[in-house]
Amino acid sequence: MAVTELKGVSKSFGVVRVIEPLDLTVESGEFMVIVGPSGCGKSTLLRMVAGLETVSGGSIAIDGVDVTGKEPSERGVAMVFQTYALYPHMSVRDNMAFGLEMAGLPKAEREILVRKAAETLQLEDYLDRKPKQLSGGQRQRVAIGRTIVRDPKVFLFDEPLSNLDAELRVQMRLEIAKLHRELSATMIYVTHDQVEAMTLATRIVVLRDGRIEQVGTPNELYTDPDNTFVAGFIGSPQMNLIPAHVTGTDNKGHALVDVPMLDVSGFAVPLRDPTVDLPTKAVFGVRPEDLIQCDEGATSDFTLTCELVEDLGSNVFLYNAASREDAIVAELPRGTHPAPGDRVPFRVSDGTSYLFSPDGQRL
Amino acid sequence: MARKPILAFAFVAPALLFLAATLVWPLVSAFVLSLQNVRGIGTSGQWVGLENYRFILTYAAFWESAGLSLVWVLANAIVQTLLALAAALILHQKFPGLRIARTWIILTWIVPTVVVVMIWRWLFSTSGGMINPLLIQLGILNRPMGFFATPESAFATLVFINSWRWFPFIALMMLAGLSRIPTELYEAARIDGASAFKRFTRITWPLLAPTLTVLLIIGTLLSFNVFDIIWLMTQGGPAGGTRTLPILIYETAFRSYRMSEAATIAVLATMLLMAFAVLATRSLARSGDER
Amino acid sequence: MRRGRSWNAVLVAGLLFFVALVGLPFWWVVSGSFKIPQEIIARVPTMFPQSFTLEHYQKLLSSSDYGTYLVNSLVVSSLSAFITLLLAIPAGYAFFRLEFKGRETYYRIILLAYAFPSIVVLIPLFGMFAKAGLVDTRTALVIVNVAFALPFAIWMLRSFFASIPKEIEEAARLDGGPPLTVLWRIMIPLTAPGIAAVAIFAFVTSWTEYVFASVMILSDARRTIPVGFSGIIGQYQVDWGLLLAGASLAILPVVIVFAFIGRWFVTGLTEGAVK
Repeated sequence: MAVTELKGVSKSFGVVRVIEPLDLTVESGEFMVIVGPSGCGKSTLLRMVAGLETVSGGSIAIDGVDVTGKEPSERGVAMVFQTYALYPHMSVRDNMAFGLEMAGLPKAEREILVRKAAETLQLEDYLDRKPKQLSGGQRQRVAIGRTIVRDPKVFLFDEPLSNLDAELRVQMRLEIAKLHRELSATMIYVTHDQVEAMTLATRIVVLRDGRIEQVGTPNELYTDPDNTFVAGFIGSPQMNLIPAHVTGTDNKGHALVDVPMLDVSGFAVPLRDPTVDLPTKAVFGVRPEDLIQCDEGATSDFTLTCELVEDLGSNVFLYNAASREDAIVAELPRGTHPAPGDRVPFRVSDGTSYLFSPDGQRL
Repeated sequence: MARKPILAFAFVAPALLFLAATLVWPLVSAFVLSLQNVRGIGTSGQWVGLENYRFILTYAAFWESAGLSLVWVLANAIVQTLLALAAALILHQKFPGLRIARTWIILTWIVPTVVVVMIWRWLFSTSGGMINPLLIQLGILNRPMGFFATPESAFATLVFINSWRWFPFIALMMLAGLSRIPTELYEAARIDGASAFKRFTRITWPLLAPTLTVLLIIGTLLSFNVFDIIWLMTQGGPAGGTRTLPILIYETAFRSYRMSEAATIAVLATMLLMAFAVLATRSLARSGDER
Repeated sequence: MRRGRSWNAVLVAGLLFFVALVGLPFWWVVSGSFKIPQEIIARVPTMFPQSFTLEHYQKLLSSSDYGTYLVNSLVVSSLSAFITLLLAIPAGYAFFRLEFKGRETYYRIILLAYAFPSIVVLIPLFGMFAKAGLVDTRTALVIVNVAFALPFAIWMLRSFFASIPKEIEEAARLDGGPPLTVLWRIMIPLTAPGIAAVAIFAFVTSWTEYVFASVMILSDARRTIPVGFSGIIGQYQVDWGLLLAGASLAILPVVIVFAFIGRWFVTGLTEGAVK
C-alpha cells in the first residue's frame, strides 16, 4: 500500500528530451496504466520509477520516501518485463526465490512464499522446470510470480503481454486484473494497446512525446477527452475528426457548427465551457459507434456514401472513402450490408459529439 | 545506469595493473634502455641520448629486416585468411562429422610450437621427410629440394608453417562471425532467386566484413611478433633471408650483446605497430560496427 | 539447407583438403614413432607402418624427464588459465556493462597490448624477475603467460557478456543482487560456454609458449614440455625416431584434454551465451 509520487520528473538522453518535466501521483491500490504510441517515453518513465534509469530532473517518492537516488532493489518495487527476463539457467522455483534470497530470507520461508505464489498462478507443477521448457504464457506467469513473492509496494509492468498471441493475451489480461483485485496492490502498467489500458486501468495516463496528454478513469477518457490526440487514441475504430466552422452558440451551452464534408449546417455540439471564446475554424469529433443509422423517412443529420464495408461479425463498419485518413467511419447494426454507392442516412446520438480547437484542444 | 565508479574501478583495476606491470613497464624500461649504451644484460651504461636511434635508422640490416617483416605480415595475412575463410565456409555447412571436424581442426594450434617446428623440419627434410617423395610422386618435383636452402624458399616455407599453425584458430573465429548471420537472410535470398555466389557476395561477405577486419588487425599484430617458429626453424637464415625484426632484436641482444641497440629496434618496431593498430582500430570504429 | 550436386562435390573436395592438411602431418608423426629406424629413413616413405617397435619411446623415457615436464606444463598452464579468468571476467564485465570515465579508451589500450613484440618485454621482464627472485620459477612463467592471454581474454569475454539480454541483468538488479552477486550467480552461468572457451585459449597459449620458458627456466626440474622437448631435439639432432616419439608424447596430453573439452571451445566461440 503505497502512494507513488512523481514531481517534476524529466529525462534527457544527451540533448534529446524524452520526458518533459511532469507530475503524477499514483494512489495506493490503484491500477495506473500509462499508454501512448511507441517512442512516447512511457517505458522510460516506468524505468525511472524502477530505478533502472536515472532522472534528469525532479524527484520520485514511494510511500512518502524519496527514492530518487536509490538502487532499484531499495525502492520496494518489482517489475515484469516485456521479454520476461527470466534467468534461463535457474528453475522456476529459483527464479522466483532469487529476489527473496538476495533479501536474506531463510530457505524455508522462501519455499513457503514461492509455493503460495505458485498456487495463485497455477505453477505448482512447473516449479522444477527451466524457463526453456515452459510455454509463453507460463513464462509470463513465472515473471509475475517473481514479483508477487517479494510483496512489493508497487508492481511495475512493461508491456508484459506484447509477446503473447491474441488468445493468451486476453487470458493473461484477465488474470492480471484478478491479481490486482486479490492483492489490492498498487500497479503501474505500460502498454501501447488502448484495449489493455481500458480493461485493466483504474486510471489511465495518456503520454505523447514525453508529455502527459490526459489523466483520468477509462470512462473519463472515453467520454470526455481533453484533446484530439486522446480522442483519437482511446476507442477503436478511432473517433471521426472532421474540419468544421463555428457559426454561433445557442443558449443551452452548445456551439453551432457547419460541417461541409457532411453537408451539415447549424449542428449543435455540447461545449465543456460555454463561456469560452470560440474560434471560427474547429474540429468536429464523433465516434463511429455514436452514429446511428436512421430508418427510411426518419429525420437524419446527414448521409454517407458507402465506399467500403468491414464486417467483423459482431460489428459492421461503413467507410465513406477507401483510405482510412479521409474516411468517415460509422458503425452499422449487425447484419446490415449496404452496397458500395448506397447512400445511408445517419443521426448523431445525443450529447456524443465533441468540438476541438484547430490546435486540438477540447472546447 | 546509476552505478558507482568505484565498483567499475575495482573490477577493471586488477587486470589493468597486471598489464601495466608486465607489459607497459617493460616497454618503458626498453625505452630507457634505448637511450643508453648498455651491452650485456645486467651491465650498466651511460646516457647517449638519441645516438642509438641515429645509428639504427641508418643501419642497413634494420631496413632489410623491416622489409622482410612487412612481406612476412602481408604473406601470412593472405595465406592465413584464405585458408581460414575456406575452412570456415566449409565448417559452416552441415555434414556428418561436423562436430568432430570443428573440434579437431584446431589441432595445429594446440600443439607446442617447438613440436610444430620439429614436425615440419622432419617432413620437409631430404632424409626421411614425407614432403619430397610426395611431391615427386605427384610429378611436381623431379628431385628432392632443400626447402630451407635458399632464402626465398625458406621464407615461403615458414609462411606456410606459420599459417598452418594459425589458420584453424582464425577459421573458428570467422565461424563465430558466420553463425551470427541469421539464416532467415539466406532463406530470403534463396526465395529471391540469388545464386550461391550472389548469396556469398551480397550477404555473407558484407556481414562478415567487421569480424574479418578485427581478425586481420589482430592477425597482423600476432604474425608480426612471431619469433619462436622462425628462430627454431632457421635462426633467421639462410643468409638473413628470414631475419624479421623480432629475430634481429633477439640476435642483437643475445648474440651480439648490444642491449641498447636491441631495445632501440624494439621501440621502433612497437611504435610502428602501435601506429598501425591505432589507425586500424580507428577506421574500424568509423565503419561503425562498435556498439 | 539443400545443396546441389556440384556444390556437394566442392564441399567434399574442400573437406578432404583440410583433413589432409591438418591430419596427415600428425598421422605421419604418430605412425612414424612406431616404425623401426630403417623404415623411417627409407627412400620411399610408407603411409602405413610396415614395422612396429616401442624402442623410441623406451629410449626417450629413459633418457629424459618427460613426466616432470608434463607436470610442470600442466601446473603452469592450469594456473595461467585460472588467473587469466580471475582477472578477465570482472574486467570484461566492467568494460561491457559498467560505466566509467575513459572506458572505450582503456579498452582500446588493452588490445594494443598485442602491438608489443613479445621480445621487447623479454629483456626488461627478465631484469624485473631477477630483482624479485623469480628467475627459474614457475611463478614467472604463469605471470608471463597471463600477461599474453589477458588482453584477448578480456576482448572475448566482453563480447560474450554483450550477447546476454539487458533485461536479465535489470531483473537481477530489481531482485536486489549486488553487482558481484549478479556477476557470479547470473552472468557467469549464462556465459559458461564462452568462459570455457577463454579458459582453453589461455591454457593453450601457455601450453605452447616457448621463448619465455626457455629464457626464464634454468633448471631441468622446472622445464615445461616445449623447453624440455627442445632440449631433446638439441641432444638427438637426427634421431628422427626418438624425436617422433617425443612429439607424439608432447601432443598426447592436449589431445586427451581436448577430447573432453574441445567441443566447448568451439561452441563457446560460436555461441558464447545461451539465449
